[in-house]
Amino acid sequence: MDSRFCRVVETLPGLVWTSLPDGQVDFLNQRWRDYTGLSAGETTGWDWQTTVHPDDLPHLRERWDACLASGVPGEAQARLRRFDGAYRWFLLRASPSADAAGDIAGWCGVAVDIEDRVRAETLLAGERRVLEMAASGQPMAAMLDALCRLVEATIGGCRCGVVLLDARGARLEHGAAPGLPEHFVTTIIGRPVTADADPCAMAARLDQQVIVADLASETRWPADGWRQTGLELGLRACWATPIASIHRKVLGVLAIHHHAPRTPAASDQALMEQFTRIAGIAIERAQNDAALKRSEAFLAETRRLSSTGGFSKRVATGEITWSEEIYRIFELDPAVPVTLDLILTRVHPEDLPSFQDMLERQRRGSDYEHDYRLLMPDRSVKYLHVVAHANRGEDGELEYIAAVQDVTQRRLAEDALAKARSELTRVARVSSLGALTASIAHEVNQPLSGIITNAGTCLRMLAADPPNVDGARETARRTIRDGNRASDVITRLRALFGKKDATIEPVDLNEATSEVIALSLSELQRNRVILRQELADDLPRVIGDRVQLQQVVLNLLRNAMDSMSGVADRPRLLVVRTEPDQDDHVRLTVRDAGVGFDPQDAERLFDAFYTTKSGGMGIGLSVSRSIIERHHGRLWAVANDGPGAAFAFSIPERPGGISHALAGGVTDAPDLGAIWTSAVTDARNVIGTT
Amino acid sequence: MVIHSLVSIVDDDESVRESLPDLLREFGFAAQAFSSAEEFLASEFIGNTRCLILDIAMPGMSGPELQRELALRRQPIPVVFITAHAEEMLERRMQDRGGAACLRKPFSDTALLEALQAALQKN
Repeated sequence: MDSRFCRVVETLPGLVWTSLPDGQVDFLNQRWRDYTGLSAGETTGWDWQTTVHPDDLPHLRERWDACLASGVPGEAQARLRRFDGAYRWFLLRASPSADAAGDIAGWCGVAVDIEDRVRAETLLAGERRVLEMAASGQPMAAMLDALCRLVEATIGGCRCGVVLLDARGARLEHGAAPGLPEHFVTTIIGRPVTADADPCAMAARLDQQVIVADLASETRWPADGWRQTGLELGLRACWATPIASIHRKVLGVLAIHHHAPRTPAASDQALMEQFTRIAGIAIERAQNDAALKRSEAFLAETRRLSSTGGFSKRVATGEITWSEEIYRIFELDPAVPVTLDLILTRVHPEDLPSFQDMLERQRRGSDYEHDYRLLMPDRSVKYLHVVAHANRGEDGELEYIAAVQDVTQRRLAEDALAKARSELTRVARVSSLGALTASIAHEVNQPLSGIITNAGTCLRMLAADPPNVDGARETARRTIRDGNRASDVITRLRALFGKKDATIEPVDLNEATSEVIALSLSELQRNRVILRQELADDLPRVIGDRVQLQQVVLNLLRNAMDSMSGVADRPRLLVVRTEPDQDDHVRLTVRDAGVGFDPQDAERLFDAFYTTKSGGMGIGLSVSRSIIERHHGRLWAVANDGPGAAFAFSIPERPGGISHALAGGVTDAPDLGAIWTSAVTDARNVIGTT
Repeated sequence: MVIHSLVSIVDDDESVRESLPDLLREFGFAAQAFSSAEEFLASEFIGNTRCLILDIAMPGMSGPELQRELALRRQPIPVVFITAHAEEMLERRMQDRGGAACLRKPFSDTALLEALQAALQKN
């Protein structure tokens, strides 16, 4: 071999060799000898085989024999042992060289170091495997196991483990450690997350990488703790790197152990950074999955317990999707497709008008709440409460997501309670009126008693013979005095019941009315009343007592509601309207579709104790009228052309002298509560007519 | 000299204390008025009072309580109750307690005289 060829061969960036036609190596370049650390004499013939990784040798021999047999060039990958004992991947290529006659004179070959490429490919494939596991929802233990094996395959000769933090971040939990002895792992689990426990706990505690290059010379931990256990198992180095979530919360620690003292090189650091990132993704994914499963299970259980179902509805197409629970509530087979017609077969006939009203609201695309009833085939009634939220999808289509709750049990209990309460109120009202009457009677009877006794004595004195004129004069004088005392009693009672001061302020009648409506909504809905509000924009404010005016509105609403309680053949429509009236007045009208009244009774309606209701005291309208009159306004009633009646009041925006009239007069006392108020009002009416 | 029977009146209402003694004197009784049961018990007139006109509801000791107290002292005196309260069944309850009668205020002079005579005869 000439020297020029030799120089070329020695400058090639690979291990170069030649062999005889039968495969016996007759030349290896200096690089080969430098790499393997073998002398020229140790590498001739078939001796090179000793440098090949035992796992790779059979395959390599097979390929080489095939080349020799066929005379065709070939290539194979195998790990070759370096002088220091480390194996690196090489790509080996062999080509035959022919003599002048065309026969194979020998083989020449080159081995190129592909360690970095193989390593990168292995790493990439391993990473992809772990991430695929994460994406397909594999258990966390399996993912971390695979990751540990990938670490061990990538960083040669190491043993890898992952520890996790418990929910409170206080103790270490087992993650994975396929290559570490179980005994070693169990000593780690349950350790507190404190810097003095071990490198993993310290890394988690400080959120910093902890490198123990040599367990034997380490000084941060005592010799008898984890270091002793590690050394007994032949471990000499430990690299602990925290695993963090994307929000930088420490989830666990990746621990790499070596059997010889070792400090991580820059390439090791790059790998550990990559591994901890993958571990973070895997752990977070698994924890999120678990949390999601928990909350799904929780939600399903909650729905079942609260009898709540959900539905979605696309308004444009009318396409409705029901959850299982709604099918259960409607007692329909989940296989049946839901249609509006199907739902309407279940809606209580009396609730159809308000149901149609709700459908109308759906078309406007606003959020809503709605109560309605179902009439089941067995004639039983279910009460449903719906809360619906409108969404516009990406396609701009209006879609409702709604929760439906079966509130039958609650509603029945409420109804029973309301009935008991109204009965109690009626009894309390009557009995408190009785008590008041007795107290007034006592106060008046005392002076009356004196008057009658004195008058009787006076007559007897005058009838005596001779008449006792002085005595008669004295008793007559006492009679007058007792008469005045009786009158004083009445004056005191008036003062007592009229002492509530009215508050005079500018009142926004729309706002005051809205508050009353808000307070009455559930009652309106319970009475299945359809409410229409026609409140005028820019309504001028009026000067008056807000609470008193609200009492009037409440009273008119109640009357309207009561008048429609027996109506079944038409919608129970209630219209509340405000508008500016002539002469700088503001008018409020409440129109119902109820039983109405005989036009010749239009004035009697406002008399105290005149009532058309079995449960009523007949004082509401008379009090209402007196309140409106104190506001210098007018309250009147008109029979509708059709069914029902309208009650309206009109009050001036700025009445003169109103504050005096309101504050000084006999007014209602709303803060005493309805019962007391009514009783007092009744009593006043009695006194007023005495 | 005619000895007039003493009728004592116990009532917290001044009108009654002023007007009744004159009427009783017109009837021919002697009369003393007291504003409370305690005042009557402290007086020297317990022993010679032939009949008591007793208001039922008074501050401090009530009329029925005074009647019971006298019974305990073994000085029972016939009683005519009077009251300004309009409670039903009241007369009946008072009669059950041994009261001769119960008059609701305002009462007529003849009703009072009848009640007094009935109470004195019973004794």
